[in-house]
Amino acid sequence: MGLLSDPSISTQSKLVDGLARHVRKVCYALYVAGVAWFFCLALPEFNHGTYLSENALSPGLVYPEIRIDANRLAIQLLEELQRERKDHLSTTPHAWIAAKMNEFGLETHTHNYTLRYPFGGGKEYHGKNIYGILRAPRIASTEGIVFAAPYRAASSVHTDISASVPLLLAFADFARRKNYWAKDLIFLVTEQEQLGMQAWLEAYHDGDRDLDLSKAYLRPGNLPARAGSLQAALNIEVQDLEIDHVDVRIEGLNGKLPNLDMFNLVQRIMAREGIASGYKQAPRKKRRHSQSHFEQNLRQMLTMLASQSSGVPTGNHGLFHRYRIDALTIAANRRATHATLKGSPGSAAVPLLKAIEGIARSLNNLLERFHQSFFFYVIVNNDRYISIGDYMPALVALVACAFLKAYLTWSTLPATNAELEKAADWLREHEQEAELEENLEPDKFELPYGSVLIYLTATLLIGFLCNVLPLQQYFLEIPMGAAPLTTSVLSFLSLIGFVLPFVVVLPPGGLELLHVAFLLIYGCALIVIGLLNFALGFFAAVLTVPLVIALETKEENSRSTLRNTIRLATLVMNPMMVVYVIVLAMTFYQFPELSVQKIMLRAATAAMDASAYGLIDSVIYGNWLYFVICTIFLPLWIICWTLSLSKRRDYADYLDFDESPSTSPQPQSKVKTN
Amino acid sequence: MDSKFFKLLLLGGAVRFYFCRTPLAPMIGNRVEFATPLNSHKRMQEGIFLLQSGIDPYQGDLVHESPLILSALSGLFQKYPNFLPIFYIILDICTAALLYAMSLRFVKQKQDQQDVERKQYAKDTEELQFGPLDKLDIPELVIVAYLFNPLTVMSCIGMTSTVISNLFLAFFFYCLVKGMLIPCLLVLAFETVRSFYPIVLIAPLLLVFSRNSVRRGVAIAVLFIVGCLIVAVANYFVLNSWNFLDGTLGFIFYFRDLQPNIGLFWYFFTEMFEHFRTMFLITFQLNATVLYLVPLSIKLRKEPPTASNVMVHGFVVFTFFLVTLSMMGALWHLWIYAGSANANFYFGATLAFSTGQIFLITDLLFAHVKREFCLFNGQKILIDGEEARIVLK
Repeated sequence: MGLLSDPSISTQSKLVDGLARHVRKVCYALYVAGVAWFFCLALPEFNHGTYLSENALSPGLVYPEIRIDANRLAIQLLEELQRERKDHLSTTPHAWIAAKMNEFGLETHTHNYTLRYPFGGGKEYHGKNIYGILRAPRIASTEGIVFAAPYRAASSVHTDISASVPLLLAFADFARRKNYWAKDLIFLVTEQEQLGMQAWLEAYHDGDRDLDLSKAYLRPGNLPARAGSLQAALNIEVQDLEIDHVDVRIEGLNGKLPNLDMFNLVQRIMAREGIASGYKQAPRKKRRHSQSHFEQNLRQMLTMLASQSSGVPTGNHGLFHRYRIDALTIAANRRATHATLKGSPGSAAVPLLKAIEGIARSLNNLLERFHQSFFFYVIVNNDRYISIGDYMPALVALVACAFLKAYLTWSTLPATNAELEKAADWLREHEQEAELEENLEPDKFELPYGSVLIYLTATLLIGFLCNVLPLQQYFLEIPMGAAPLTTSVLSFLSLIGFVLPFVVVLPPGGLELLHVAFLLIYGCALIVIGLLNFALGFFAAVLTVPLVIALETKEENSRSTLRNTIRLATLVMNPMMVVYVIVLAMTFYQFPELSVQKIMLRAATAAMDASAYGLIDSVIYGNWLYFVICTIFLPLWIICWTLSLSKRRDYADYLDFDESPSTSPQPQSKVKTN
Repeated sequence: MDSKFFKLLLLGGAVRFYFCRTPLAPMIGNRVEFATPLNSHKRMQEGIFLLQSGIDPYQGDLVHESPLILSALSGLFQKYPNFLPIFYIILDICTAALLYAMSLRFVKQKQDQQDVERKQYAKDTEELQFGPLDKLDIPELVIVAYLFNPLTVMSCIGMTSTVISNLFLAFFFYCLVKGMLIPCLLVLAFETVRSFYPIVLIAPLLLVFSRNSVRRGVAIAVLFIVGCLIVAVANYFVLNSWNFLDGTLGFIFYFRDLQPNIGLFWYFFTEMFEHFRTMFLITFQLNATVLYLVPLSIKLRKEPPTASNVMVHGFVVFTFFLVTLSMMGALWHLWIYAGSANANFYFGATLAFSTGQIFLITDLLFAHVKREFCLFNGQKILIDGEEARIVLK
């Protein structure tokens, strides 16, 4: 068992000494290995083909029965809806939808909710969802499946998806005539994008709970009827009845995904009906064939992780994941030209209807919730995936750098102090043997645990305030938009963090100890974030680990140019700067024609909006991104900044740092503006 | 007993008191890492309520606290529920004070022993010997390690009955070091009837008090059994029924509640075929109680309750605990709330946590053995010109 316990007699081992000397090289090697592993995952040898794991689904076992009359009904409903939309430019034609549901024999209910928007003096918005329940003939309402279609008012800025509601209703009419349903079917029409869905889900699950009305921003109200525990949900967003391809959207809140079986099921059934469908499916014309397989796969992986990392759902399905309901969106895109039309226009939507029927019947077969297949995966291609066991090593290798460095820093750290102490003890015993008055002396060499702990707490407090302050009543009463308010609070707090190391200087040994603590907290934070949302954790690690490896608090054997580069890099790594840079890149990508100044300005306002949206998302939907950035990344950045400055109490160091104020004002103003 | 000691006690109390008032406290009380079926505050409340209503608390499978504790605390629980956190804090601080007193006494004993043995020690081992400062430092370290250990703080603010067990165990060690046989036996008997596993502490007790005479050892063992019987009978008179035995000891032995906790048993038993259960039950329980007891007792027979501070790899162990505990939170969320991960993920974290504990214990033992060895043989041993290594075989 001498595995961990150091078997040599002296406590300082040669291996550790040797490693400590090359800590950066070892860490960079690990970093490169982690990133290389991730790239390798795009190779077909490293990922696996998808398969259906849940036998109960048995897709395509039944012959689709939905016929052209359902398509005719959908067309007729769409025409009626278009007429209604002329009268309801900015509202939902609730009456018409409810009347149709009633007509088809569904148990129809409406659901009212209120949003109390906290910023800018406070406003109230009201909304209304309509849902119809088709009670299962075979079972008491213990389980249900949701078919949802978002409704967008005619005045909406988003793409018109008004064909979804007629399609949903046509399918409801078909389903009503069948007697094989073993689960209640809920047909739900929501409004106001994700807000309506969030309110409905909250009302469905917690509607009978008493809310603290002063704190709740979204008051979901209660539902008049429910349909048991929801097993799965399918969100339908159809631009037109004549479709070109189907984009299957899976990313949910905080990067959660539906079970891989659900995705495979949809893929299988779409393929059977001859619909071009897939994850991030692009129109046929735009698909590039010049790229190699590897490049395509890598691109797919990266886009998936990018959309997961923000934690914002790509559709209404994403909100279901919070309640353990597997859900995805099938977004059918309009056919651009009519030249390639196959068959008559009167049967254009039949394949899609058949696909929905197939999915519904497979879900109807489920005996338990989805549990067989993966919940953590990255889709490489429409029929290939990477499971958690394969992609986690990439993150672990990156995080291992932090722990390795922490260990080596630690093992070189107390040795010096112990030596100091030993020397002091030796002196003491020789000079004044009997006297016991040196109670103060040994304290001098003890590591300053207390002050480091206080420093850590202070930085965490700043992070905590970022979460709490913008929502305080006295700030909310200021007649100020959400974006400027949030941004000013955030920049004020990060400014405090920026100034903190100049004001507070840790006692000797404190910086090294802070370094170790920083590395540990950083490693733990990345692991936990990576477990909850791999994409976010991985990107954060890829971005920050090189800097963390480069950080050094010792002043000997480091050149000043390197130090200043690290300092500059640390400044750029400020969470707010990173957000700004990301937004800047996106603005540049979207509006390449604008001048640089305009782009930077536009990006600044967009970044301000982004921080406000982040806050609103976190209070209404429970998105963690804002919380993570404020509570974890910002304090870590402050510590990182402290370490990169490495201000010491020694007088010599103050002289060394004369140059730092000349570099700092410039980034400081940047922090203020974004 | 100097002022620093009181300051530390006060600070520890203040930390606990602060956390008791934050919303963290009820959350901790519900976390599986801290509140198990055996020590959860909620179950204690339930037991006291049932006891007061005249219902046998052990008829259901909910209460696993011993009747004496239930009836002793019922007045407090019923009349002053608001002061309960303070009560637990006081108990915890008492534990810390007892530990402090124990370690003071222990260090003194070790120093006396050292004075006797000094002539046999090798020359360059001054730093391994107890210095005059250690007399103050070691008890201080002990008390800091107890008062500011996040795990004990969490147990205290979650109001788990671990606090009470800790108090009893601290009292046990205190009596052991002081050499008071009867209180030692009584406390141990009480704890054994309450939660079974403290029975392993009979080994140090026997080793300390028997002083290598078998007859004394047998006498103490008999006394211990009598003590257990007395405690059991006292428990019997609370309810006039023996149901409590099944509710406490039986529950622990048969491991009926598979609620996940920081340990490992729950996972093994959820994965197991039912007809092998008895076999594994016996194997695991033997493993938990007897297997490590015998060799460790043989090795450490000279100084049973040892507290060595020559730790080498404390950092690795600390990192292990930090990472696994933070991972446990995330994985529990993914498993229970998000439904995406499963029991295996959480078990992985608890397994790593246990590995950390094993490292901690082997490290402590190894440090102890190493110190002993070096004291007598010197710090630097050269074999054929190379530094020698101690290999555990």
